[in-house]
Amino acid sequence: MELGRQIASRLKEATFERVVAAGLSNAEINGPRIQRSVLELSRLRLGAGDSAIVVGAGPSLHRRRSLERLRASGYAGTVVAVDGALGACLRAGVVPHVVVSVDPHRERIVRWFGDPALSAAPADDYFRRQEMDPAHAADELSANRALLRLVDAHGASIRVAVATSAAPEVVARCAAAGMELFWWNPMYDDYDRSESVSLRLHRANGLPCLNGGGNVGTAAWVIAHAVLEKRRVALLGIDFSYPPGTPYERTQYYPELRALFGDRFAEAYVSLEHPVLKERWFCDPAYWWFRDVFLEMAREAECRTVNCTEGGILFGDPIELAPLEDFLADVRAGAGVTPSERT
Amino acid sequence: MTKFLKGNYTLDVTIDETGDGEAMQTVEEFERKALSRLGGSICFVSKKGFLWKGEDGARTSDRQPS
Repeated sequence: MELGRQIASRLKEATFERVVAAGLSNAEINGPRIQRSVLELSRLRLGAGDSAIVVGAGPSLHRRRSLERLRASGYAGTVVAVDGALGACLRAGVVPHVVVSVDPHRERIVRWFGDPALSAAPADDYFRRQEMDPAHAADELSANRALLRLVDAHGASIRVAVATSAAPEVVARCAAAGMELFWWNPMYDDYDRSESVSLRLHRANGLPCLNGGGNVGTAAWVIAHAVLEKRRVALLGIDFSYPPGTPYERTQYYPELRALFGDRFAEAYVSLEHPVLKERWFCDPAYWWFRDVFLEMAREAECRTVNCTEGGILFGDPIELAPLEDFLADVRAGAGVTPSERT
Repeated sequence: MTKFLKGNYTLDVTIDETGDGEAMQTVEEFERKALSRLGGSICFVSKKGFLWKGEDGARTSDRQPS
């Protein structure tokens, strides 16, 4: 087995190691702010019908102009966005019904909501390096100021499905922007075990535990079907990978892979040909793990999942591939999307 | 080490020998820490459904885990 897949096979335990301490620490700080459970979202009228569109922050989102096309369509269903896609959504005139945030990082994630404390370009090149939101890559300070204004303007009409693991800075920013917060616990481990972290956390705050699948995009998809009970869920910007030709230096885990493997770092990437585009996309071990987990979870879900990303590596049974317009047309017609690979 | 090599001399320093098991543990610990830098932002728990509401058994998942 190639190196990247070998690493991916060990990331379930590694992720626990990575997030549990920070997640529990943040949960303790966030405790006094917790008022509403994510389950309350299902009782709100968030979009028409039984469909939802989950918006991730992958490179196809702007390459395919997915949000502009969604805005032009007049789609009336539910829109659930990851935190990293919030800025792109608002700039395109798409105000998501729900934004999902989970990552415990204390400095980075608040930037997706506009960081009121940012006064100089930080040494951390996380945002400049990647293609998740090109607006941030171009001019971080201007982008941050514009995002602050946008989020402040629309905050009152956006609900945040926020994990107790989220950074307190994110929670404070969302509250200041007038967003309503709906809380959940990340499922850290098997709650049936007596020493379970999930069990302990649930006993402490009474919140449901959500199986997040490794990343915020998958968590947003879980919220769309398991919390909001949508039965047709389309994905936009869920690439789990980088387009052909992307320099390694501009990938999410490049510094870590370089530090771990030195000159052999490139061997840790995995590539896969998109069955419709015939392009070879590539990914970090983490993204490969996300893909594997998503496919496993999708087989257990009763919703139909239609990947309208039009790029990336998330395909295979039971996920359908279709252009966004096909999904929207079928929603309007009240029909399901015929399984196809029509991207 | 001492069961394989015998010296006909004495050393002025004390050698702190690390057993094989301990060395293995150190390597595993290093690997675990290193890999944790490559992990995701939220865990995944196999075969436990999508949403667990609590100990009253009201776990909700679209399908029960197999």
